[in-house]
Amino acid sequence: MLKSNVFSKKTRNNKIKKEVREVYLRDDIWCGVSSCTTCDSPAASAAARLTASTILVVDTNVVLHQIDLLENPAIDDVVVLSVVLDEVKNKNLSVYNRIRALCSNSLRKFYVFANKFHKDTHVEKMEKESPNDLNDRAIRVATQWYQKHLGDATRVLLVTNDRENKRKATEEGIFAETIESYVKSLGQPDLLDLVVQPASVDVNMEDIEDSRPSKRKVIYEEHKPMSEITSGLRHGIYHQGKLRVNRYNPFEAYVGSESIGDEIIIYGRTNMNRAFDGDIVAVELLPQEQWHEEKSLSIADEEEEEEDVHLAPSSADDAPRSTTPVNAADQIPVPSRPSGRVVGIIKRNWHSYCGSLEPMPMPAGSGSIAYALFVSKDRRIPKIRIQTRQLGNLLNKRIVVTVDSWDRQSRYPFGHYVRVIGDIGDRDTESEMVLIENDIDARPFTAQVLACLPPLPWSVSSEDLANPIRLDLRQIRVFSVDPPGCKDIDDALHCTALPNGNYEVGVHIADVTNFVHPGSPLDDEASKRGTSVYLVERRIDMLPKPLTEDICSLRADVERLAFSVIWEMTPEAEIISTRFSKSVIKSCAALSYVEAQARMDDSRLMDPLTTDLRNMNSLAKVMRQRRIERGALTLASAEVKFQIDTETHDPLDIGMYQIREANQMIEEFMLAANVSVAAQILKIFPVCSLLRRHPSPTREMFEPLLLTAAAVGINLDVSSSKALADSLDCAVGDDPYFNKMIRILATRCMTQAVYFCSGDLSPPEFHHYGLAAPLYTHFTSPIRRYADVFVHRLLAASLGIFQLPTIFQDRPQLTSVADNLNYRHRNAQMAGRASVELHTLIYFRKRPTDTEARIVKIRSNGFIVFVPKFGIEGPVYLTSKGQKGGGEWYVDEQQQKIVKMDSSLSYSVLQTLRIHMEVVEPQPNRPKLQLTLI
Amino acid sequence: MEFVSPEGLRLDGRRPTEMRQLRAEIGVVSKADGSAMFEMGNTKVIAAVYGPREVQNRGQQTNNDHALVRCEYSMANFSTGDRVRKPKGDRRSIEISLVIRQTMEACIMTHLMPRSQIDIFVQVLQADGGTRSACINAATLALSDAGIPMCDLVTSCSAGYLNSTPLLDLNYIEDSAGGADVTVGILPTLDKVTLLQMDAKLSTNIFEDVMQLATEGCKAIANYIREVNPFILIAVYIWPSLKTF
Amino acid sequence: MVGLSEGEKEFIKGGIAQDLRSDGRKRYTYRPIYVETGVIPQANGSARVRLGATDVIASVKAELGKPSALQPDKGKVAIFIDCSPTAEPTFEGRGGEELSAELSGALQRCLLGSKSGAGAGIDLSSLIVVEGKVCWDLYIDGLVISSDGNLLDALGAAIKAALSNTGIPSVHVAAGASNDEQPEVDISDEEFLQFDTSGVPVIVTLTKVGKHYIVDATSEEESQMSSAVSISINRQGHICGMTKRGGSGIDPSVILDMISVANFVSRQLIEKLDSEISAAEANEEES
Repeated sequence: MLKSNVFSKKTRNNKIKKEVREVYLRDDIWCGVSSCTTCDSPAASAAARLTASTILVVDTNVVLHQIDLLENPAIDDVVVLSVVLDEVKNKNLSVYNRIRALCSNSLRKFYVFANKFHKDTHVEKMEKESPNDLNDRAIRVATQWYQKHLGDATRVLLVTNDRENKRKATEEGIFAETIESYVKSLGQPDLLDLVVQPASVDVNMEDIEDSRPSKRKVIYEEHKPMSEITSGLRHGIYHQGKLRVNRYNPFEAYVGSESIGDEIIIYGRTNMNRAFDGDIVAVELLPQEQWHEEKSLSIADEEEEEEDVHLAPSSADDAPRSTTPVNAADQIPVPSRPSGRVVGIIKRNWHSYCGSLEPMPMPAGSGSIAYALFVSKDRRIPKIRIQTRQLGNLLNKRIVVTVDSWDRQSRYPFGHYVRVIGDIGDRDTESEMVLIENDIDARPFTAQVLACLPPLPWSVSSEDLANPIRLDLRQIRVFSVDPPGCKDIDDALHCTALPNGNYEVGVHIADVTNFVHPGSPLDDEASKRGTSVYLVERRIDMLPKPLTEDICSLRADVERLAFSVIWEMTPEAEIISTRFSKSVIKSCAALSYVEAQARMDDSRLMDPLTTDLRNMNSLAKVMRQRRIERGALTLASAEVKFQIDTETHDPLDIGMYQIREANQMIEEFMLAANVSVAAQILKIFPVCSLLRRHPSPTREMFEPLLLTAAAVGINLDVSSSKALADSLDCAVGDDPYFNKMIRILATRCMTQAVYFCSGDLSPPEFHHYGLAAPLYTHFTSPIRRYADVFVHRLLAASLGIFQLPTIFQDRPQLTSVADNLNYRHRNAQMAGRASVELHTLIYFRKRPTDTEARIVKIRSNGFIVFVPKFGIEGPVYLTSKGQKGGGEWYVDEQQQKIVKMDSSLSYSVLQTLRIHMEVVEPQPNRPKLQLTLI
Repeated sequence: MEFVSPEGLRLDGRRPTEMRQLRAEIGVVSKADGSAMFEMGNTKVIAAVYGPREVQNRGQQTNNDHALVRCEYSMANFSTGDRVRKPKGDRRSIEISLVIRQTMEACIMTHLMPRSQIDIFVQVLQADGGTRSACINAATLALSDAGIPMCDLVTSCSAGYLNSTPLLDLNYIEDSAGGADVTVGILPTLDKVTLLQMDAKLSTNIFEDVMQLATEGCKAIANYIREVNPFILIAVYIWPSLKTF
Repeated sequence: MVGLSEGEKEFIKGGIAQDLRSDGRKRYTYRPIYVETGVIPQANGSARVRLGATDVIASVKAELGKPSALQPDKGKVAIFIDCSPTAEPTFEGRGGEELSAELSGALQRCLLGSKSGAGAGIDLSSLIVVEGKVCWDLYIDGLVISSDGNLLDALGAAIKAALSNTGIPSVHVAAGASNDEQPEVDISDEEFLQFDTSGVPVIVTLTKVGKHYIVDATSEEESQMSSAVSISINRQGHICGMTKRGGSGIDPSVILDMISVANFVSRQLIEKLDSEISAAEANEEES
C-alpha cells in the first residue's frame, strides 16, 4: 500500500521547500511477542523478543529522560516504536545510541516496532494537528493495535508522563501509567531514584536551597531563543563554538570561535550561564574594558576550589592553558584575549558523571526523600543536585549521576542518581571510576566477538606455510625485547650480517589482520575500543586474551605469523632496500630490556644472539644520531613505575622508569619501520592512508617555557624543532637534573600527535614535529592499537595481497575512524595517568615521605612543585587558604619569584627544595595528598 | 546517515530488494503514434513516439538501409524539488538523450524500416531518482504502442549500495547519499545487458551483487510491461518460425 | 503539423459556416473538459487539463522572495510555458520556444493584469509576509504535453485549477530582528494558506475561420484561421485581458460582437470548470 508523506522544510538558504516522500505500508511487520499466534512466519518468531504478560509501550519523553531507568535490567518487555526512535534521534543522538544498543542487546527484551510502515498503525496528519500531537496519536494507535493484536491475555501498558496523552489514552481504552507509578508498582524502591523528576519539583527545592534571600532570586540570565541566536550568529553579534572548561580552574572556560579566529575566555559561572564542558554555545563578547575582570569574578563564586596534587603533565593537552599569570590587578597588562558571556546553548553535551555526594547530615527518618549535592570527579563539572531516598546508602559511595535540567533560579543543575560504583577509597571502585570517566569499555568480550577467534590451541598450519604470500623466516634468528613480564609481544627483530658487509635487518610485527577480518564483530569491537588501556594494576585489552597473549603474541620458541619489514642496511645504517612481506617466524628469545642490556654490556658473551644485539645497537645509534641531527627532539617526561603487590595489588614501590640503551634501540627500529610503512602506503593510497602527525607548536604555546627559561637566564630558540633541540642541548645548569627539568617543561608545551586521514590534509601538514619526520604512521603494535590494524590492511593492500575494505573508499567514515582513534588514545592515556595518580595516593597513605622537589610555577599564594622521584606535581601554600594572595608575599613576574614583603625569603622558579608528602583527610573519606615545605 | 534501519526497512518503508510502486499507461498522448506514461514511485515520465515516418532532415540520415532513431529528453521546470529553469539542451539532457537513443536503437529492428525516421521524446514530469530507468521503460512502452518492431523489450532499473547493503531502485534521497548507483538496462528475453552505468566506487564482489539486484529489478519491470501492453510486437517470437522456412 | 487537402479544408470551412463542425460540435461548444488536480505532488499546486486531445499540465511553486521596491505590499507571480516535443515533433530542440513565449505572454496579460499588479486575477497582496521585506513569489509553469488546438484556453483553465489546488505553508516571522535586514522566517507545517481563485478569469479564444468564429478550435481548424482573439473574463463578466493573434484584421464591431459571445461562453466554461475542479479535488482527497 502506498502513501505519501508531504511536509514543508526550511532549507539552509532560508528557502522553503516542499518535500514529498513516499511511504510504503506493509503487512509483514511482526509484533515481536513470542506467544503471538497471529504473526507466525519463521521471520516473525526469529525476531520475537517479548515474553511477559505485561508489555510496555514507551513514549518519546520517557526514552529521552528515563534512559537510565530503561537501561536497568528491572525494566524489560518494552516496545520501542519507530516514531519514538525517530524523535529521539532528532533530539538527542547519544540517548538514541543507547536505546538502539538496548534494542540490539540479546539479553534485554526491547523490540523495535516500525509502526510508521505498518498498514494498521500508520497515521496520517490531521488538519491543524501539531507534530507532537500527531506522534502522540501514533503512539496511542500503535498501543491500541498491540492490545487488539495480542488479545486480553496480555496487558499492553502505555508509559507516558504527558498528562494530556495519558488522558486521551484512557479515554480510548488504553492502559496508561506514568513512569513513576509504573516503577512504584514494581515494588523496588531503589529504582525510584533512577526516575527523573518532572520539573515541577523545583518548588519543593526552595526549602533546601540556601535560604538566604539573595539565593532565591534569578541567578542566571535567560538563554536567548534559538531564532535570535541564529540571526545573531549570522550578523556577527554572537559567536558559536564548543565550550571547554579549564581542567585546572572550573571557573574559566574557552570557546574557540571561528568567526573571531581566536579563543574567547569566559570567566565565572555567571558568564558561563549554565553551559557545561563540551556544549556548543553562542557567546556574546563583553565590552573591551571588561576583558580583565577574571580573578574578581572567579572568586565571586564562593565554592572553595583548590589545586590537587596530580601527576605531572606530559603534554600541552594535559596542562592548564597559560592564562594571565597570578592576579592581574597590579601587574603590567598582558595583551588580553577577548572575553565574553554565554547567551545560549545550541547543543548540550550532558552525559553521566561519576563522583560522590557532598557530606551532609542524614535527614530524619530513613527512606524519606533527601536532596543532596553531587560532586563530580571531573572538576570541570559543577555540582549537581539530586533527590534520593537512600542517602545513607550513597553517602560514602562513588556514584554515577546524570544531569536533567538547569533552570535560572538554581545555582546548580538538577540530576538523578543512576547507579553505585562502590565505596569511596576502595581501589577497585576508584579504578572503575577511572574507566567510566574516560569512557573506556572494560566489559568482557561478547560471545559474538569471541566466536571470531580461531579454535584453540592454535598453531601455524601447513596452509599458512604453503601460502605463496608468506615468507618462511623460521630459520632466521629472530628475537624480541620488551618490558619484563610482557605478554602481548607485537614486535620482534632480526639482524643478519650479509657477505657484502651490509646487514639485513628485519622488524616482524604480529600479523593481527590474519585473524581480525574487516567487518567482523571482532573487528568492530576492536575498532570501537581503539586501543588497549594500561592501568597500574590491570590491562584492558583491545583484542580478546587468546589473541593478545597467545595467537598473535610473538612468543619465544613457537611459530607465529608476522608482517615483516626487511631492510638491507649499510654499517652506516643507510637503507639500501626495503621489502614488506607477510611471514612465518619462530622467535628464539623473548628478552626483557634489562636482559638485552646486560647481554650487550657483558663483554664475555660472544654468542650469535648477543652479536646481533650489538650490531643492531650500533646501527640504532647511528640512526638515532642522524634523526637528532635532522631536528628530532629528545624530550623527557616523568614516567613512573610501580611495583605492585601480587596479592593485594597495592603499590609496594614507586619510582621513575629507567630508560636504557636497549629501549632506545628497539624504539629506533620501530620508528624506522613506521616511517617505511608510511611512505609505502601513502605512495599507493594517497588519499585514504591513515597517518600520524605532530603539529608544530605555536610560539604562544612556548610562552610559559620561555618565561621560565628567561627567569633562570637561559635563552631558548623555538623557531624550529632543530633550533629547539640544539638550544635544549645547551641548557645546562649547575646540577645534572636541570637539563632534564627543562626538557620536561618543553615537552609540556607541545600538543599530542594525532592520527588523520591523508586525504583530509595537504602533505606539508603531515609533518611529525617531535620526530622531525615528514611522514609517520603506526604499524608496530597491532595487538594493542587499532590504528596499526588499519595500517596493516593498507600495507597488505598496497602489496596487492589483500583487498582493501570498502570503508577506505568512504572518506568521511575514515575521518571519523581517525577521530575515534584519537579520542580513544587520549582517553587511554588519561586513564593511565589517573590510575597512576590513584596508586600514588594509595602508596603514600601509609608512607609519609620527605623528598626533594622543584618549583615549576609561581602562584600568588605559593608555588607548584614537581617531585621528580614520583613524577607528581602539586601546590605548596605559603599562606593559609583564607588570605589568598594578600599579605606578606608578592610575586615578581619578571624573575618568576615569590618574595616575602620584608625580602627575608624568596622562592624562584626551578629552585630545588625539600618537601614533606602526606595523605590527609580534610573531610571523612576524601583523602588527598598534601605537600608542605620543610 | 541511516538508510536502512536495523529492522531492515528503508526510509520509505521498503525492504532493500523491493522496488517502488510501478504504474504505467499507454496512449497518453493521443496525437502521437505511440506514447506511454511510466511511474516508478514519485518519478513520473511521459514518452511519445512519432514514426516511422519520412526523414525530416536528410542531412541526418547516414545509413539508408536503416531507420534513423532520434531521441530528446527534457525535464519540466516543476519536475525537481527546487524549481530551476534550465535552458534546453544542457549537458545532462544531451547525455541522457544519447543514452536512451543508443539503448532503444539496440532493440528497434531498424533494418526493417529503411529511409525512415523514428522520434522518441521523453518528458520528465517529476524526478525522484531513477529518471534514466523510467525514461527507458516509458520509451519501450511507447515504441510498443506505436507498433514499432523490436527484437526484444528493453527495461532498465537501478540499484545502489548504502549502509553496506545493496538497495534496489534508489529514490532521490538515497541516490544523493553519495553511494554507488548502478543503472542497468537489459533485453530480458535475449538475456543481454544493453546499458550499464555506475558512479562512485565499489569493490568487484559487491558490484556483482548490486548489478545482480538491478538485473532482477529489470526482469520484474519487464513482466510488468508485458502486463501493461500484452500486444508487444517482438521479433524474437517470430524468428524461430522464420528459420523453419 | 497539419497537412490537409483542399477538400478537407473546404469541408472544415463549410462545416463551420453551417454550424456543424467536423467533430459534430456547434460553433460555440467546447470539447469535453477533464481536470485532474495534484498531479505533481512536489509542487504547491498542480493540475492537468485535457480538452479533447489537447493535454496540458500547470504547476504552482511558491518561493520566499523580496517584494519589488515599487510594490512593497504585493507578492510576485511569473508564468512560464514550455511546449514539450511529445506534443509535436517540431517543438524539438528550440523549436517550441516561439510558441512558448507567445503563450507565456498571452497568459501573463490575461491573468496578471497591468504592470502595477492592479486588476490581476490573483490577489497579490495576500502573498505578502512582511511588507517591503518578505513575500511569496509564485512561479506558474505550464507544460504542453499533447496539442490539438486551443492551448491558451486549456492552459488558462489548468492554471486556474492549479491555483485553487495550491496551499502555501503559513510562515511566522521571528521576532527581534532589527529593521534593516531580511527577517528570519519559520514555517508552521500545520496551516496552509489557500487561494481565493474565484477572481481568476478564464480565457475564451474565438477563432475566426472564414466569416464565422468558433470557440475551442482543434489544430485542424486552427490551420484554417484568419485571426483569433483571446479574451479573459472573470466571474463578474469583467474583461481582464485580451490578445489578438493572426494576420488579418477584424472589423471593430466584430470584436465587440466577439466579446459578448465570449462573455456568454465564459459563464458556461467557468461553471463547468468549477464543477470539474471541485470533483477533481474530491477525487484527490479520496485517493
